[in-house]
This record gives sequence, C-alpha cells and structure tokens, in this order.
Amino acid sequence: MPDLALQRPGLSRERRDALLGLLLIAPTVLVLGAVIVYPLLSAIALSFQSVYTPTLEGHWVGLANYRELLGAGGFWAALLTTAIWTAGTLTLQILIGVAMALLLHQNILFRSLARSLVLFPYFLSTVVAVLVWRWLFNDLYGIVNHALMAAGVIDAPVNWLGAMPNAMLSIMVVGAWKFFPFVVIAVLARLQTIPEALYEAARIDGAGPISRFFDVTLPQLRDVLTIVILLRTVWDFKEFDLIYLMTGGGPVNGTRTLPLIVYQQAFGLNQMGMAAAYAVSMMLVMLVFMLAYLQRARKAAA
Amino acid sequence: MVQVVFEKVSKAYGDTVAIPGLDLVIESGEFVSLLGPSGCGKSTTLRMLAGLEQPSSGSIRIGDRDVVNLAPAARDIAMVFQSYALYPHMTVAENICYPLKKRGVAKADRAIKLAEVAALLQLEPLLARKPGQLSGGQQQRVALGRALVREPSVFLLDEPLSNLDASLRAHMRAELIELHRRLGKTMVYVTHDQLEAMTMSSRIAVMRAGELQQFAPPDEIYNRPANVFVAGFIGTPAMALADGSLADGGGHLVVHVGSLAVALPFAANGVRPDAVTVGIRPEDVLVGEGPWQAQVRLVEPTGYETIVALDADGLALTARVPGSNALRVGETVAFDLRRERIHLFDKSDGRRWEPAGR
Ligand SMILES: Nc1ncnc2c1ncn2[C@@H]1O[C@H](COP(=O)(O)OP(=O)(O)OP(=O)(O)O)[C@@H](O)[C@H]1O
Ligand SMILES: [Mg+2]
Repeated sequence: MPDLALQRPGLSRERRDALLGLLLIAPTVLVLGAVIVYPLLSAIALSFQSVYTPTLEGHWVGLANYRELLGAGGFWAALLTTAIWTAGTLTLQILIGVAMALLLHQNILFRSLARSLVLFPYFLSTVVAVLVWRWLFNDLYGIVNHALMAAGVIDAPVNWLGAMPNAMLSIMVVGAWKFFPFVVIAVLARLQTIPEALYEAARIDGAGPISRFFDVTLPQLRDVLTIVILLRTVWDFKEFDLIYLMTGGGPVNGTRTLPLIVYQQAFGLNQMGMAAAYAVSMMLVMLVFMLAYLQRARKAAA
Repeated sequence: MVQVVFEKVSKAYGDTVAIPGLDLVIESGEFVSLLGPSGCGKSTTLRMLAGLEQPSSGSIRIGDRDVVNLAPAARDIAMVFQSYALYPHMTVAENICYPLKKRGVAKADRAIKLAEVAALLQLEPLLARKPGQLSGGQQQRVALGRALVREPSVFLLDEPLSNLDASLRAHMRAELIELHRRLGKTMVYVTHDQLEAMTMSSRIAVMRAGELQQFAPPDEIYNRPANVFVAGFIGTPAMALADGSLADGGGHLVVHVGSLAVALPFAANGVRPDAVTVGIRPEDVLVGEGPWQAQVRLVEPTGYETIVALDADGLALTARVPGSNALRVGETVAFDLRRERIHLFDKSDGRRWEPAGR
C-alpha cells in the first residue's frame, strides 16, 4: 500500500474521511447555528428575564414570566382561540382546496387559465387581501351583507368583524380564501400522477364516480394530505398578519391568538421577556403536536 | 353463446383516424389475439370493446346485446391491464373482491369466490399482502384473479405479459393457455409479441394502421399469409421478400426472382399477375446442395440452429441451418429452395396469389 505509507502515522484513512466530512458540513452547521440555534437560545434566555423593549435592558426573573402566563389564564384562553382558528380555517382550506383541485383536474374549459387564476389569493399581499375583505365584510356598505339581504338570508346587516362568533368565522373564511391555493397546488400535482388505468379498472369493476373518489383518489392523496395538513397547521398556528389586520385580536379578545399576544407583549406592553415566554410556550405546543404527528405518520407507514 | 361482433366500427381522435372501419366476429370460447406493430390500433379496439373508449361509428355486440351505449361495468367483461392497475392501498384479497363488493355481493359469498380464485391462481399465501409487496408475476396473477372472480363472459387482456421477464413470460403463457382451456371463456388478447399470439390463440387478428389484415388460425397466418404485410410481419427471422415475375416454362409455372429462375411444381394455366412479390421463408432455403450459388453475408449461431444471411447475386435471402456449423462469412455456398412453399403476392395490391393446383 504505497498510498497509505505516505500518510502521517496515526492518521488512518477513516480518521481523515471523518475530518473531511466535518469540514464539508461546517458551513451548513455555522449558518444554521447563526440563523436558528442562536436566536432560539436567545429567545429562551429572554423568557427568563424581565426586559423593557425600548432599551432591551432587563434582569433575571427565573420562571416568573411562565408562572404569570399560565396563572393569569391568558395563555390557555389564547391557546384555545388559536386551536379553534387553526382547526376551522384548515378544515375549510382542505375542503375547498381538494374540491378545487378535483375540478381543475377535469377537462374543463379554459383549464390552464383557471389553474393560474386559482393561485391569485396565495400571491396577493396579505395587507391588500385584508383591505379588500374588510370592505366586503363592512357592516354598512359591504357587499356580503348586501348580497345576503338581497337573497333574503338575513333581514338586517350583520356585524361581521365586530361581534363574536362572526369575527372568528370571518377570519377563518379569509384564511381559507388566502391559503387554499397551496392545497390546490399540492393535491393537483399528486392527482396528475395517479395512473389513469386505476380509474379504468375501477369503472370496469363497477365503481361509480363516488366510489372511484373514495377507493382510488382519496387513498392516493393520503400522503400528500398528511404533509399539507402538517405544514399548514404549523403555518396557521403561527399566522399573525392576517388576523392582526382583520380584527386586531378583537372584539375584546375574541380572535386574539398566541402570535397576537406575543406582539402585544413585545411592542404594546414593551414586555420583551414576557413576549419571549409566550413565544417559547407556543413553540413547545407545536413541538408536542409535531412529535405526536410524526409518531403517527411513522406508525401508519410501518 | 357469447359472440363478440364488431360491425363497421371506426374510431377517430380529432383528426387522427385510429380505426377506419373494423369488421370482426369472435366466436364464443375463442382465444383471439390482436396482433400488430405499435400504434396499429390494438388497444383502441380492445378499449372500445371494454367501454373505455366510445367508437366514432359502428356497433359492437357482446352476445345479443349492442353494448356501445353500455357502461364498462354493465358489459359482462373483465379486463387485465398491462400495468395490472391493482389498487395499491388494498390487500390482494380486497383487490380481488373489489368487483364483487361494488356489485353488492354479500360478504360470505365474496369469501367463497375469493377462496376459489385464490386456489386456482395459487394466491393463498399472498392474500394479506399489498400489491407493492408482490413480484411482477404475482401482481399479474392478482390482476387475473380480479378479472376471474366475477366470471364475466369475455376476458380482455392488454399486453398483460409485457412487463415480465422472458422466463416468467413463458411460464405465464402456459398458465393462460391452461386457464383458457379450463374456463372455456372468450378471451381477447392484445399483444405485439407474435410468439404469444402464435402459441396461445385459436385465431389471430393481424392489424396494421387500424385495418384488419388477416383473421385466421396461427398455422394459416404463418403458412398462408394473406398479403405482403402479414408475410413480412409474422415469422422470425422474417421472410425474404423480393420483386419477381411469373412465366410459363413449358406448362410449368416459373418464377423469376433476382437472377434465379425457379420452376414451381404447379401448372401455368389460368390468369396470373404480371408482377409479383416473392416470399421465401428461412426454413425453405436449403443450404449445402442445389442449382444456385450464394455468398454468406452474416452468420448468427443461436445454438439450436444458425441463421445465415445469403446474397444470391443481389437477391437477399435468409436461411436456417440446423445446429452450429462451419459456415464462414464471405464463403460461397450452393443452395436449393422448397419450391412448393414459395409464397407469391400480386404486386399490384399485395394480396396473396395462389397458383392453380396448390
Ligand atoms: N387518446 C388518444 N388521442 C389521440 N390519438 C390516440 C389516442 N389513443 C390512441 N391514439 C392513436 O391511435 C392509434 C392507435 O393507438 P393504440 O393505442 O390502439 O395502438 P396499439 O396498437 O395499442 O399500440 P401499442 O402496441 O404501442 O400499444 C395510434 O396512432 C395512436 O397514436
Ligand atoms: Mg397498446
């Protein structure tokens, strides 16, 4: 082995490969550390302090922030609000998204045009979307009330954003409108890979359109829906701008989800430490959810 | 009696005419292969019979029913797909039972049927598995099982063996023949593999560009091809085809092809075409002795026999020589022809022409 004989003694080929490996992943590790691990650790550190936002000066308070957050009941109420918002808007997103994907998968007229148009809400800036929707929902001159009254569904204008549970329903609808295109894209891409022969076999086997959906399409969509639900749950759970701009968390605290509290604590009440405590708690909730979910996914795959 | 009848059936996709007009009668219990080159309309024909495509015109009858406007499930047919098309999330048992379930067969009856089919196809050990956990041959058998379980009167198979390796294909071929013999059901089998068609079919429908070229039993297709296309398409290595002419050589028919003048053992009476296409199968070229000389162009030993490409003064011939032998490229050999087996086609329309007395 002339090749090995040239190496420094004590540095075997395996050791050298290991060192090379470390060298190669070092940039990734450094970048991840700088943009994820460091902020995360600072947030956790902040959550144990009482910090005045404008000066960022503060002192160590231990678990006091957490004690207050859990004790005052604000956390649990907001967690419930967040869960309701997430479940509601996600359900709507999935139902509308899957239905729309099925429709766009058909040979309809202007299919490619429709496929591009359907993405519009997803690409629209949230601020613009919210302005438009607030106008639509306006209790005095909004078209929603106008249309519903004209159709005879209601006989007096409804206060869509200023009363509960209307405000919650309204933001769920707007969330669904804004984010269903994501579901459409993912599901449509999967639909196009389902072999046509499966549908033909099902037709010969005597399955009608509904059977074909439940026996062929839906099982094939299961994996993609799992991923979509997982991703969208996380994103909806931490959704901030849409809710903040639509209702600001109101009426009273009716739509005040956890991200809104974090913002209020940090910049409304200038309590950066408290805000960090809320943010960290939020992360823990999502972590528990993620782990439970991954566990289930792994069990289902086995 | 479940006869399958295509009557003036045509199919066009937009401007492309896949099938210009097909007439075909498949008798009850027959095993019919649709054979032809890629794109000739075999699958289209089968899919129209299945109800997966709507014919542009014409009528299709299964038994005494016109099925053109019937849904696939109402046609009393079952189909096996080239890709098997098994439902990936269902077990083998669920796959096989699916057509029964959709027809509202009671659970207990389904179990009985499943047991029968599983026994017939030796699927018992696999019933709890998913298709993804099966080999190609096993998936093939499950697909067959799903077709069998309903006991349809016509089975449709679209290249069901083409995804299998050579030895498994030979094995499945034998199984299919046996299955057909046992069930006695009408089977329509699409393939572009002539070996499959020749070994399994009671009759072969040779198609080209959507038109039926010949519909006959395998030995007739091979020994009496109806036209130049069938002659060239059937048989490996292919029949040598060359332009020639016919003449009267003192009462005997003489065919001139290349520089050869071959006296045929047939009388020269009656009308005959001016120009012909002459077809000579490799096994009808006898290398060793004979009145003619040819140069060896190519030698392909296959073990059992050797395929030899010959050049007889510009006329290209192929010969099958038994065993492996010492022929060398460039060598000149003598050869003879089995004259009574030379095929003649009218050059004007490509149709087979039979001399008087054959
Ligand atoms: N959906 C379609 N749209 C347009 N043309 C089609 C369609 N399906 C088939 N064709 C055309 O019809 C003709 C017959 O096709 P078909 O699939 O029946 O051929 P095939 O004999 O089964 O060929 P292969 O051996 O390759 O499967 C081809 O020329 C094909 O291009
Ligand atoms: Mg085909």
